[in-house]
Amino acid sequence: MTDSDYPEEILQSLEDYNIDIRDFLPGHGGGAKLLLDFNKIKGVEQIEGIILKGREIPNGIVADVVIKEGTKLEEPVHLCFGVSKETGIQEIFPRIIAEDNTEVKVQAHCSFPKANGLIHKMFGHFYIGKNCNFNYSETHYHGENSGALVAPVGYMYVGENSVFENNFNLTKGTPGKVKIMLDIYAMENSVIRSNIRAFGKNIKDSVRIRDAIYLEGKNARSVLKMKAAARDGGEVLMYGITEGNAPNCNGHVECSEIVLGKGSICRARPFIRATDPMSSVSHEASLGRFPQKWLDEIMAKGLNEEEATEILIEAMLREE
Amino acid sequence: MLLELKDITIPTEDGKCVIVNNVSFGVKEGSIHAVIGPNGSGKSTLAYTIMGLKMYNPSQGKIYFDGIDITNMTLTERAKLGMTLAWQEPARIDGLTVPNYIALGMKDKTNLKEKVIEALEIVNLEPERYLTRTIDESLSGGERKRVELAAAIAMRPRLIILDEPDSGLDMIVIEDFLNIFNKIKNLEMTILLITHREDIGMVADYGTLIWRGNHIITDEFPKVMLRYCAKAGLKEFCKRTLFKNDGTCFDEDYIDRIFREEGSS
Ligand SMILES: Nc1ncnc2c1ncn2[C@@H]1O[C@H](COP(=O)(O)OP(=O)(O)OP(=O)(O)O)[C@@H](O)[C@H]1O
Ligand SMILES: [Mg+2]
Repeated sequence: MTDSDYPEEILQSLEDYNIDIRDFLPGHGGGAKLLLDFNKIKGVEQIEGIILKGREIPNGIVADVVIKEGTKLEEPVHLCFGVSKETGIQEIFPRIIAEDNTEVKVQAHCSFPKANGLIHKMFGHFYIGKNCNFNYSETHYHGENSGALVAPVGYMYVGENSVFENNFNLTKGTPGKVKIMLDIYAMENSVIRSNIRAFGKNIKDSVRIRDAIYLEGKNARSVLKMKAAARDGGEVLMYGITEGNAPNCNGHVECSEIVLGKGSICRARPFIRATDPMSSVSHEASLGRFPQKWLDEIMAKGLNEEEATEILIEAMLREE
Repeated sequence: MLLELKDITIPTEDGKCVIVNNVSFGVKEGSIHAVIGPNGSGKSTLAYTIMGLKMYNPSQGKIYFDGIDITNMTLTERAKLGMTLAWQEPARIDGLTVPNYIALGMKDKTNLKEKVIEALEIVNLEPERYLTRTIDESLSGGERKRVELAAAIAMRPRLIILDEPDSGLDMIVIEDFLNIFNKIKNLEMTILLITHREDIGMVADYGTLIWRGNHIITDEFPKVMLRYCAKAGLKEFCKRTLFKNDGTCFDEDYIDRIFREEGSS
């Protein structure tokens, strides 16, 4: 496939995130990749150690990714779910299996630059084996018209001694209506780091994200950070759940959300539950504005309060 | 005078008490000027008021910067005129990178990376080790304070207010800081140095002693320090450590006289 086969709007749409999708096109870079334009598979590139398969179904695709036992990939696996049309329904069923002793980073880009009544649904299943290091990052761009309805659901099983890092970014452009549900099950000695970032920018933006981590195995640990901003009537709800259901497991939920302008609403619902006497779970949430001292320190460098707030939001929503 | 305070009185937020009472002094351009005084004497309050933080409004008096009355200016306006403050306990902020933080106050952002590196070098931080860090909890206390200094220096302000840059640092590091102050001075910045350590203060050309919110003396630093010792009743300490080998010895009689004036011996 040549670059020109893939819609230009999608290629350019993640510029604000400093991501150039061209780097991930087949023939560029060494990683495995699967590209979708609406409900058509536009390119698949395999590499050794992984199986990548896509199957078209009436409203979307089933995408299977298997990382074979012991495979350690330097280059990320790239999944691009783009839609250059304004409307339609795209349904994606990713089934991702990381076999034991694997190390991999998967980057998914969901880009709908012209969305205006577009519906994107995803039903993802992740199975991560033992002793894995699995990094999943999903970056979304829904255009500038708040015209998308996006509803991903994900189930993630993280095996013994594995590290799972999850990054979800929806900070550029206008989200539209977004409803996300993630359930992450952590087995013995596993480590979960989940970072959720979202920015609602007008009255048509409503973002609800529910990320639940169940610490089911001994010594499982998790940190869930949910960061958001809402401006000009935008609305964000971050619902962060952690359950401590095993001895010596330890989990923490943190929600930080900034409200800008009239009519914007941020809500946080950190929910923690412990069912094992040897477990420990905690949460903290702060909503509203940034601490005055942070603003002062930046303003002492010659910036006004608005500029200082912009800088702090950028920092808060920045992918680490 | 680059900075001048005239009859400044600072009340508490609720207006019920006075923290700083009728203080006047000036800071000469190009000097290192120390403000000393015991814990709780009002040094930080004075620094915040000079910088123009919200909630720190003088009930009386005027502040001039380079002859301009800045008493009613905002923090941002004052910073734009060429002054800044490095906090006693700078904040930890997730996601804000060291280079971005240092670059915040730079007026000219061409060759940004070189300028950031230069600022890090001035405060003796190895640039390669810090360019990818963020100013979050992962920096040690000393590192965070140095980054704060670097960010202030990178602005190239005319006046830099340092609130206890020495707090929480050990002796070896103190040497290093004295070194940094001299580098700042060579960059033609005026330093208002808030401290309650005499060894740090000794780099200062001038000093001001604040005691329970009152201005006691503004003079060459050794004289100010002598007055501090006299008020605190630290005669032995004073004779033994302060005024030897630095060309600023006072004779015994003079020291005794100052101590008598302050009612201690
Ligand atoms: N908002 C406030 N309300 C009441 N008292 C206050 C307030 N802010 C400061 N103070 C008091 O004013 C005094 C001066 O405080 P300040 O922080 O300026 O002292 P400092 O000289 O900087 O002390 P240190 O050497 O410990 O840093 C203290 O006694 C402090 O408790
Ligand atoms: Mg203080």
